[in-house]
Amino acid sequence: MTRLIVVRLFFGALTLWAVSLVVFAATQALPGDAAQLILGRDATPERLEALRDQLNLHEPVAVQYMQWLQGLLQGDLGTSFSNRLPVAEYLTDPVRSSLTLMGLSALVATPIALFVGAFSALRRDRAFDHTSSMGTLVLASVPEFVVGILLILLLGPGGLGVFPSVYAREGGPEQWVLPVLTLALAVAPPIVRMMRATMIEVLESEYVQQARLKGMGERTVLWRHAAPNAIGPVAQVVALQLAWLAGGVVAIEFLFNFPGVGKVLMDAIGNRDVPLIQAVVLLIAGIYILVNLVADVIGLAANPKVRVANR
Amino acid sequence: MPAQSEDPTTALNHLTSRRSLLKAGAAGAAVAPVLAACGGGDSGSGGSGDGEPQTGGRLKVGVAGGGASDTLDAHDPTDNVDIARNHALYAALMRFDNDGTIEPYLAESLEPNEDGTEWTLVLKEGLTFHDGTPVTTEAVVYSLKRILDPDNPMRGAGDMPGVDPEKLEVVSDLEMTIPVDEPLVTLPEALAEYYNCVVPVDYDPANPIGAGPFKFSEFKVGEYSVFERHEGFHIEGLPYVDELEIVNFPEDDARVNALNSGNVQVISQVPHVQVAIMEGDPNVNILESETGMWLPFTMNVEEAPFDDVRVRQAFRLIVDRQEMIDQALAGYGQVGNDMYARMDPSYPEDLPQRDQDIAEAKRLLAEAGHEDGLEVELVTSDISAGVVAAAEVFQEQAREAGVTVTLRRVNPSDYWNPEEGFPYAFGQDFWSARNYITQTAQGSVVGAPYNETMWGEHEEWLEHLEEARQTADEDARHELIRKAQEIEHEEGGYIVWGFVNLLDAYHVSVHGLEPAVSGHPLGSYAFHTMWLEQ
Repeated sequence: MTRLIVVRLFFGALTLWAVSLVVFAATQALPGDAAQLILGRDATPERLEALRDQLNLHEPVAVQYMQWLQGLLQGDLGTSFSNRLPVAEYLTDPVRSSLTLMGLSALVATPIALFVGAFSALRRDRAFDHTSSMGTLVLASVPEFVVGILLILLLGPGGLGVFPSVYAREGGPEQWVLPVLTLALAVAPPIVRMMRATMIEVLESEYVQQARLKGMGERTVLWRHAAPNAIGPVAQVVALQLAWLAGGVVAIEFLFNFPGVGKVLMDAIGNRDVPLIQAVVLLIAGIYILVNLVADVIGLAANPKVRVANR
Repeated sequence: MPAQSEDPTTALNHLTSRRSLLKAGAAGAAVAPVLAACGGGDSGSGGSGDGEPQTGGRLKVGVAGGGASDTLDAHDPTDNVDIARNHALYAALMRFDNDGTIEPYLAESLEPNEDGTEWTLVLKEGLTFHDGTPVTTEAVVYSLKRILDPDNPMRGAGDMPGVDPEKLEVVSDLEMTIPVDEPLVTLPEALAEYYNCVVPVDYDPANPIGAGPFKFSEFKVGEYSVFERHEGFHIEGLPYVDELEIVNFPEDDARVNALNSGNVQVISQVPHVQVAIMEGDPNVNILESETGMWLPFTMNVEEAPFDDVRVRQAFRLIVDRQEMIDQALAGYGQVGNDMYARMDPSYPEDLPQRDQDIAEAKRLLAEAGHEDGLEVELVTSDISAGVVAAAEVFQEQAREAGVTVTLRRVNPSDYWNPEEGFPYAFGQDFWSARNYITQTAQGSVVGAPYNETMWGEHEEWLEHLEEARQTADEDARHELIRKAQEIEHEEGGYIVWGFVNLLDAYHVSVHGLEPAVSGHPLGSYAFHTMWLEQ
């Protein structure tokens, strides 16, 4: 299994490099350059020239990319075009905020979703099952920012007034509730549905029947025999959903004015701030790759055949 | 999302509600009409003037825009939030009053010699920067050199053609002369622009010191900034609040929600669709400002069919201006009369208002040889709220006159790109409030950076403009500008159908807000006059 991880990590790095190349090419294909967009309507030819000089935009595109790549390999993410701060320094706080938001959402969403999914499977075709199926179907088909807006209307200042609808720097912990809830509701439905489907399959399997026939308690059957076998496939879905979180925060951060990487990315694209776009996109892609790798490892570890074969 | 525009009215949203026109008062061409704040719940408390101003407290303001390119640099603000911070931190020599007139600010006086080739500047006595050092002519020279640096010209460099920073002459700590290579009657205007403010010698944007009402305390790029009261501010007793916090809100709904939930007490630029809802909230007041911002259609006078003046005149008669304001600006605007620079003291308010006249338009088109109808392409883009909607309204209105308009939509960041075909035969644009001469330098004369109508070669017009540019005497200059305006009113390449009203909102506990015509929100970010009911 170690070999598998090493190989996967290698391909992960290769993927990241390809991503950086695509992103760089994409930023070059966009109309306008950073100097034009930063200066906006106030751009005069003289100011454009001066700024392009400062940002090294006169160099050939390939040279610009190689300079960036060289810096990256030395651990230097470069300097942001739009605010001239080192990218790493500028990103520290947004990354921390976004990771906290994602982490909290995952912590809230995953256990509840697993529980609801498992419970639906046990109560198959009864009221709870139908309600949760319906609910998850609706939630899964509504975009997350719509969920966010509905939550604001319902629980925010205009509605019941329970939670603030905007992130404020000096605000209390209650301001995390709506963004976390929105993200949790956005990632939970597929987990619920997968957990339900897998559990139903497992519960109908012969080994569960066998366990029941042996006269084991229902609780033991569930937790010792059914649940472990359901984890493999569900872990994949959980991982995919968590990976989605990395990108999904973008719209939610915008909605709640939350100071995270999503907002930074939006700005960076608007400004054609190539070093900043690269850093954020690589970060999101990196999280995607890592989470998927972890999911595969868990999936394999949950599968006795693989686990034993590689021992 | 389109590239963030520096223009304050980008937050005007898709517009639905209607609102009756508030006719501009024609009394006195010099002062443009300014609307009083229209209150939300209680009509009495709109704006300033109720009770004695109280001092103290922290004023929290949510400003539209902001992001990774936030800067505190005195001479390089672009985005709305940069502009807001600039008004808090810095002060310029001159200032636009709420009605658009120019008055001395840090300057005591700024006087030209007879032909406008040399200006004498006298500073007010006892001015101090935030660090307690005096504001001297040496600092003014340093500031102008920084703005005009040929290797790194700042935003205001283009406003001051002919000013050679090497030729500035310091007479004393408080007096200096500014010689110009060619007459520059617009110098007071240039020096009233917030981005041409005064900074101390060896100014460092990382430690931003100015002479504005608030001094620097905290700044986080893309998020917020905090300022403290500048005790040495030159207007006695101002500012009222102890602390000022300016928070970025690029998203419209978040900004409105922040006001509703009490995170901030003041927000700039309420989306027009939200105004009706907010007016129902007894805790919120709306500040509505008429501005000089305009969203014209541009007709290139060198390209067919607009090289024929009759076609241009017909197109101007096609427009139902009030309907366009109702549709494209939700009614929050003022009818235009095909002339810009509405806040200029010389603006000819007395010229008859042009109204829709389809029959006359058809007659002119027939005379120009288009009796069987005319097909034109209108290039449009989401460069500012209401622009695309205006294009769609025009398309409808033109049909009545037998003109078929096809719309071509261009990416906003590409709109002024020559590769897209700019300047277009028939296009659109947005412009903030500028006085006439300054505006022509930006958009009308030959060689202007946004020469979209190619109008500048009109001889008679150019003669008046050239003469006005060199006439230091105000009355004589205004007369010349009026003549130039009249020519544009008859023959020009712009269809100026309206001017945009700006809407801000604030909690009822905040007082001292007054509308300004500048087009910058919250009465030109006049944080120093705002006070909190304790």
